[in-house]
Amino acid sequence: MGPENPNRPNYPLRPAATPFASQQSSTPFLSSGPVVGSEAPAFRPGPPSASNFQAPPFAGGPLVGTEVPAFRPPPSIRSGEVARPPPPSSYGTPTSGFQRFQNPPMPSAGQVPPPHTSLTGQPFIAPPTRPPPGPASLFSHPQQPLVSMGSPPQSIKTGQPNPNIPPPADQRFSTPRPSSQPSSPPTGTSYPAGRGTYPGYANMQPNSVSQAPPMQPASFQMQQGGYGPPMQSASFPLQRGYAPQTPPTSLLAQQRGYAPVPPVSTSSGLYSGNQFQQHGIAPPGAPQQGLAEDFSSLSLGSIPGSYDAGLDITALPRPLDGDVEPKSFADMNPMNCNSRFLRLTTSGIPNSQSLASRWHLSIGAVVCPLAESPPGEEVPIVNFATTGIIRCRRCRTYVNPYVTFTDNGRKWRCNICSLLNDVPSEYFAHVDASGRRVDLDQRPELLKGSVEFIAPAEYMVRPPMPPLYFFLIDVSISAVKSGMLEVMSQTIRSCLDSLPGSTRTQIGFITYDSTIHFYNMKSSLAQPQMMVVSDLDDIFVPLPDDLLVNLSESRSVVEAFLDSLPSMFQLNMNVESAFGPALKAAFMVMSQLGGKLLIFQNSLPSLGAGLLKLRGDDIRVYGTDKEHTLRLPEDPFYKQMAADFTKYQIAVNVYAFSDKYTDIATLGTLAKYTGGQVYYYPNFQASIHKEKLKHELTRDLTRETAWEAVMRIRCGKGVRFTSYHGNFMLRSTDLLALPAVDCDKAYAAQLSLEETLLTTQTVYFQVALLYTSSSGERRIRVHTAAAPVVTDLGEMYRLADTGAIISLFSRLAIEKTLSSKLEEARNGVQHRVAKALREYRNLYAVQHRLSGRMIYPESLKFLPLYGLALCKSLPLRGGYSDVQLDERSAAAYTMMALPVKSLLKLLYPNLVRVDEYLAKTEEFDTKKRLPLTVESLDTRGLYIFDDGFRFVIWFGKALSPDITKNLVGEDFATDFSKVSLSQRDNPMSRKIMEILNQCRKSDPSYFQLCHLVRQGDQPREGFFLLTSLVEDQIGGANGYADWMVLLYRQVQQNA
Amino acid sequence: MDWLPFLWLIFSCMNLTLLGLNFYEFLGFSDLEADYLNPYELSSRINYVIVPEYLLHGALCILFLMTGHWIMFLLSLPTAYYNLKQYLSNKHLVDVTEVFKVVSTEKKARLIKLGFYVIFFGLVITRLALSVVSAVFADDEDIVAWSTIY
Repeated sequence: MGPENPNRPNYPLRPAATPFASQQSSTPFLSSGPVVGSEAPAFRPGPPSASNFQAPPFAGGPLVGTEVPAFRPPPSIRSGEVARPPPPSSYGTPTSGFQRFQNPPMPSAGQVPPPHTSLTGQPFIAPPTRPPPGPASLFSHPQQPLVSMGSPPQSIKTGQPNPNIPPPADQRFSTPRPSSQPSSPPTGTSYPAGRGTYPGYANMQPNSVSQAPPMQPASFQMQQGGYGPPMQSASFPLQRGYAPQTPPTSLLAQQRGYAPVPPVSTSSGLYSGNQFQQHGIAPPGAPQQGLAEDFSSLSLGSIPGSYDAGLDITALPRPLDGDVEPKSFADMNPMNCNSRFLRLTTSGIPNSQSLASRWHLSIGAVVCPLAESPPGEEVPIVNFATTGIIRCRRCRTYVNPYVTFTDNGRKWRCNICSLLNDVPSEYFAHVDASGRRVDLDQRPELLKGSVEFIAPAEYMVRPPMPPLYFFLIDVSISAVKSGMLEVMSQTIRSCLDSLPGSTRTQIGFITYDSTIHFYNMKSSLAQPQMMVVSDLDDIFVPLPDDLLVNLSESRSVVEAFLDSLPSMFQLNMNVESAFGPALKAAFMVMSQLGGKLLIFQNSLPSLGAGLLKLRGDDIRVYGTDKEHTLRLPEDPFYKQMAADFTKYQIAVNVYAFSDKYTDIATLGTLAKYTGGQVYYYPNFQASIHKEKLKHELTRDLTRETAWEAVMRIRCGKGVRFTSYHGNFMLRSTDLLALPAVDCDKAYAAQLSLEETLLTTQTVYFQVALLYTSSSGERRIRVHTAAAPVVTDLGEMYRLADTGAIISLFSRLAIEKTLSSKLEEARNGVQHRVAKALREYRNLYAVQHRLSGRMIYPESLKFLPLYGLALCKSLPLRGGYSDVQLDERSAAAYTMMALPVKSLLKLLYPNLVRVDEYLAKTEEFDTKKRLPLTVESLDTRGLYIFDDGFRFVIWFGKALSPDITKNLVGEDFATDFSKVSLSQRDNPMSRKIMEILNQCRKSDPSYFQLCHLVRQGDQPREGFFLLTSLVEDQIGGANGYADWMVLLYRQVQQNA
Repeated sequence: MDWLPFLWLIFSCMNLTLLGLNFYEFLGFSDLEADYLNPYELSSRINYVIVPEYLLHGALCILFLMTGHWIMFLLSLPTAYYNLKQYLSNKHLVDVTEVFKVVSTEKKARLIKLGFYVIFFGLVITRLALSVVSAVFADDEDIVAWSTIY
């Protein structure tokens, strides 16, 4: 019955389509989804040929029609073949909402346009596709009273009585019935059921099994939590997916539906709605279900304005699985680069400026060009030895999987500017009937979204530079006393073997206190020669060369130097720091080659140019208009130096160690504008921080680094990247200068529409990073991605990516703290989240009664929580007393460069309970994360808190002393601040170290230092853990529930 | 009465220089936008002329005041105030690292200033012409009477 189904009904049903269309046109929400479907009838009736079926747009359309917006299950790819067999049809059809996304790839380009034109012509005829479901639901209607189980779920789903619907429903009754009956009487019942729009209970079951699995449990729980106990004031009609179709939920729902105890006024509204629908008028489930499933919602505010609104805290969405990358981006175009390289805040690009202006979450991208690939997925390297790299003549786009070959393979059309380019004869290959090149499978650049080209000499302004590491080391008394010098020397020494670049690597050192010490490391010497320059006003370099030497040649001298360095300055009592002049000296030495400059700074620069005042963290400045100046670099010297460093391809990494104020805000600018990074170890003590410094310095020195790089993001016509955020310097409007890049750096960019209306179906993005690899090759790493242009705001929300949005938001907020108060930056975040949710609400407010409920798209369910976490993150948290200024600045510089995943982990850290695991033998499951609130902490438990930068191990008061003893040894009763966790000879200790190592390995970019905290051990507990529990009310900040209520109120205002 | 034309000549020269400087700065910013100029070069060029420009405008302003041209002085005051504010808040110099964030506002500011100087130049030229005329035809009562209206 399968195959003929889609065909048969078509003829008779077509007429029915029109009445519908007109009625439906009043519901704005359908506009996008059904639009796709609408194409179907237009085409189908004529030739029901196979080719028609294959074309993606038709597949789902006729089957599903209005449910289109409703379903968002993963299998978008399948919709193409889906049209025939009915069981998959239930799968495939839902995807029709996505179908557009399949248009973009060029093969289908030829087929797609016609439907679309018809589309734009009459966008509102959308629902004609509905007829098929229409009759289906009609059929069921008579049954509804009988199958009392079936309908409630439906009504729950639809929830809100829709005044618009009933009359159309009637009409539907009359019109489609006759038409559908002749078409396929026997299949009538079962077939519609497969679509899941059907309220019939019996039919539902198979259907739900096939469709729902992923969603089912979640919604089930939700409902239980929300409705089960009638006295609970919180109801949680989470209208996600297919929940209501499952028998258990429908049961529950029913329970709730008839439960006579509705303390929540709003839900009573819903009930009435249910009943209303049950009794016959029952609007066909299809449209409403479609609507309802579009969003998730949260009930709150039984009494408008009261704080103890019925908000069930346990029901709030939490990202306990960490960052879940939206599947849609990679799935909709298998040729797109992986989302670890490029993530868009929404993969649906708005087609007009007016639509873009309603999207308050910034259209943009977060790019991590060198993200580490898991083994087996390395970026392929392509060498166009003789051909030269194939690029578009006009827009300089690199050849990529989305270019189309025409003219029998002699020309190719650029996907970004659509210019026809000639194919060089060496690159020529014939094109087969379907437009594919015959040599496609040997051309990774035409298959993969990410490739690396080997660049010929045209891409070099000078011979590729060798990897170069230069160390600028503070050797004043504090550096020696804290043990920094020793740890650092040891670490560098141990890394000498693994520095990238093998025999080409160059290395050099300068140390400084009140004078500047240069070291001659000539390979013929046995010991390094030290030269002291004490004239700080007129710095000169005492030796023209030999300050910077080839590591492999001078290896023994370098080793001798590093061995003797700590002892050389052991007795140094100098407290001054001539940082500025030393910086200049380093610049002079390095400017020939460029490279990486690592600065180890222990105190406030106090001599020579660039000396900094102890402007300190003045409490009186907070809350005034001058507050932001504290976070700005004080002396323009540093900005100027940073600009010069970038010009000469020098990247600066700042390691700061002081226990006192060091003005990280100023020192950090060096890293910010040179593509570097700030590492801050407040109050560095070798005994405590040794491992952390060692690991992070090792990582910094040995990770794969791209040198003297520039990056540009190209995008299609009509859109333009307007601003960039991260650690880099712009060399021209869209060219990022990156003296050194590595896998731990990400860059964000904001996009704007240049034209009022985009005419293309797809917008392409291409990230190109031109760099010198450590092996001395000039390379271009190219990531290409396609994103569909959408006409509907709901679609944009559906394709949104919370991770990218938050990453962009955090950068914007941090930048805002540099020009206004912290308070304003936090409000900015809050307003944007609220605006976005309000706009979303406005989309649905007309059809649904939404009072007392907050609705949000499934894709953004964590947005409010991450927004809250962002407001509580170090750079934005509280005021003067909450975070030290240096820590704030350091965190801000770090967050400006963090890739999405690490950022989300930092914002919403992992909290796991381990005591049970320690006592037993079962496998440890890191997935069992807990909500970040005090309630998660059981006094009998042992918890690990991991934000990617540190571990906090929390010992409950009533934790068995056995565990404590096993973990920290005999002195478990002492002050935990003096105890460090180390491996002991017992299984428990081994186990916990194993867990910690496992966590560390999962993200090696930073080292998590362990802090042990005992419950009630203030202020330590508060400092390390309690302030980081983002869901709790800390200081003046909101807790999660309050925050939701607050957002809800803001959403309500002028809604 | 002979010095008046010379005074106006000096005024118009100063004005012309200011006009030129502003145009030069404006050009620099548009070149930067069009990628004909890199930020390093732009900042060094503009930072080189910005303080002389401010000083020149200040001088013009004071000269108007000293010579008792009240209306002209008042007209030139807003720009002087703007310059002073920029200078005092240390925003007058181009920050090479962040220049792309301010390029559009800077361009707009330059354009407004350019317009201001063009209008001002018109006024100054008119006064120059009038003063020349009045100096040459000092005897002619009519013209003298007419020029005093200004």
